Amino acid sequence: MRRGMANVAPPLLLALVFLGVWEIYVDIKGVDPLLLPAPHAMFAEIWDNAGLLWSNFAITAKEVVFGLSLALVGGFAMAVAIHLWTPMRRAVYPHTVGSQAIPIAVIAAPLCFWWGFGIFPKLVVIALICFFPVVVTTVDGLAAVDPDQRKLLRTLDASRWQAFRFGELPAALPAALSGARIALAVGVIGAFIAETSTPSTGPYAGLGREITSDLTALQTPRAYAATAVLFVFAIVCFYALTIAERKLSPWSSQRRGEIH
Amino acid sequence: MRASSSARRAIAPLLAACLCAAALSACGAKQDVVSAPSAKPFTVMLDWFPNADHASLYSAIAHGYFSAVGLDVHPIVPSETAEPLKLLAAGKVDMAISYEPQLLLARDQGLKLVSIGALVQRPLTSIIALPSAHVSRVAQLAGKRVGTAGIAYQAAELHTALRAAGVNPSSVQEANVGFNLVPAMLSGKVAATLGGYWNYEAIQLQQMHRHPVVIPIDKAGVPGYDELVLVVRSEQARTDGVDLRAFLAALTRGERQVRANPAAAAALIAKANPSSEEKLQLASIEATLPATLPSAHTKPFGWQDPSAWAAFGHWMFTQGLIHADPDNAGLPPFTNEFLPGEGI
Repeated sequence: MRRGMANVAPPLLLALVFLGVWEIYVDIKGVDPLLLPAPHAMFAEIWDNAGLLWSNFAITAKEVVFGLSLALVGGFAMAVAIHLWTPMRRAVYPHTVGSQAIPIAVIAAPLCFWWGFGIFPKLVVIALICFFPVVVTTVDGLAAVDPDQRKLLRTLDASRWQAFRFGELPAALPAALSGARIALAVGVIGAFIAETSTPSTGPYAGLGREITSDLTALQTPRAYAATAVLFVFAIVCFYALTIAERKLSPWSSQRRGEIH
Repeated sequence: MRASSSARRAIAPLLAACLCAAALSACGAKQDVVSAPSAKPFTVMLDWFPNADHASLYSAIAHGYFSAVGLDVHPIVPSETAEPLKLLAAGKVDMAISYEPQLLLARDQGLKLVSIGALVQRPLTSIIALPSAHVSRVAQLAGKRVGTAGIAYQAAELHTALRAAGVNPSSVQEANVGFNLVPAMLSGKVAATLGGYWNYEAIQLQQMHRHPVVIPIDKAGVPGYDELVLVVRSEQARTDGVDLRAFLAALTRGERQVRANPAAAAALIAKANPSSEEKLQLASIEATLPATLPSAHTKPFGWQDPSAWAAFGHWMFTQGLIHADPDNAGLPPFTNEFLPGEGI
């Protein structure tokens, strides 16, 4: 992690090998570019459609950032409530698991009915998809406080709030942030689902819309180009959050061995 | 809850990222429509991504024909084809562009909706095959596999076409390929597809030199219907006649503009849907023009032929797609009364 540059080379090399094999496969087998375009065609599309992809990326990036923020705040609050209040844990926890089985297409129409055609219904969809890992990891983290620390806080006559603030919360933060990273990884596909399951206005409606439009319009190479942008975006977000995690809870790297 | 100072330091870049994202998206947002401040907002949910079929709508918006009659028209792109009628019935939009069969199904489900005009006068849905499948007539589909988008009334259309060609429908295997109609043909998984449009997928394939065989379903024994219709709630037809009449008059002016200058209309579509190709849109607009005006030349743009609606409704009933024949089920599913020159 700390040796930044040395860690960029292996994935880059693997990507090159993968793209090379893909290119050779498509060339040798003569695969129809409408079914599976060659990597060079994908990169050519990125180059030729930079403006279009950028405009759509800006929309998707905004959805991911805000949708994920909603998931983090909502998921963390729910985890704390579940942790502090046993009836809540009993009543709500099974339903949060069940909520992950709800196909978004089923609830898309009422979301749009309540909140219209703007960005908010999309944020709700992303948050619904992302909040689950945050809840689960945070609940586990809150429960996994060092028993000695709990004893120490009791000895010091800490109130329930203080025990939570100085004992459980710092202990749970690394787990919560791990949950956030998982949430982020699914957040990008969440944005795709959100965009393609709710109506939109305006000429640019995000990379998810771009991909479905390209696939139905027989512009397969551009759908791959947009997918490549999503792929890189997910990676960048993931590592950005990893860096944020190290700053937010510097103690997590030492504790990592215990948690995982 | 107070954050520790290190936490605050870390939140700052996150916040900055949020702001950046917000700023980026602001760059993308553009206000295309300039209209009088007094204009009444009027949302129209399209059936699909903006395309050549919507040329008259975008033309009327761009030329200010709607704002001239006091309507501030906003098109909305749906996520799937059943959504427009649902949201219309829920009162979330003022008009939906949908398909005549879809409207009849929705009415059969009890939705109080009515068509006030036809954007396209005949079916666009076609049976499409690629040369490699060696299918040039419906009869040659016997014993083969046909891909559909999984829409019930399109399966019924396929059965009717097969029977009309003397083929037993049970000898033909249907595969639901969703929206992947063309890829299913390219990969050779199906011999033909039903669901693509002769003015869209067929033209795309032609432009890509794939030489498709195209059989519009109304040329294969299925009764003709208006592929795209303008639908409103029945209660709007009772109370908002002035707006609906104004809308259709402005749309008619838009249609004339498209006819006069198809290239300009194609440019408008490309602007509304930047991922669409202007060349394809132009070819599609030109191919669609003969199907946008009624065959009876005395009738206005948007005219819905009562006998054709009756015949198609009866066909849907006999196919078991709807529970009652629309002809005997109370109020008709369409009205021409808001079309220019047709009102009382």
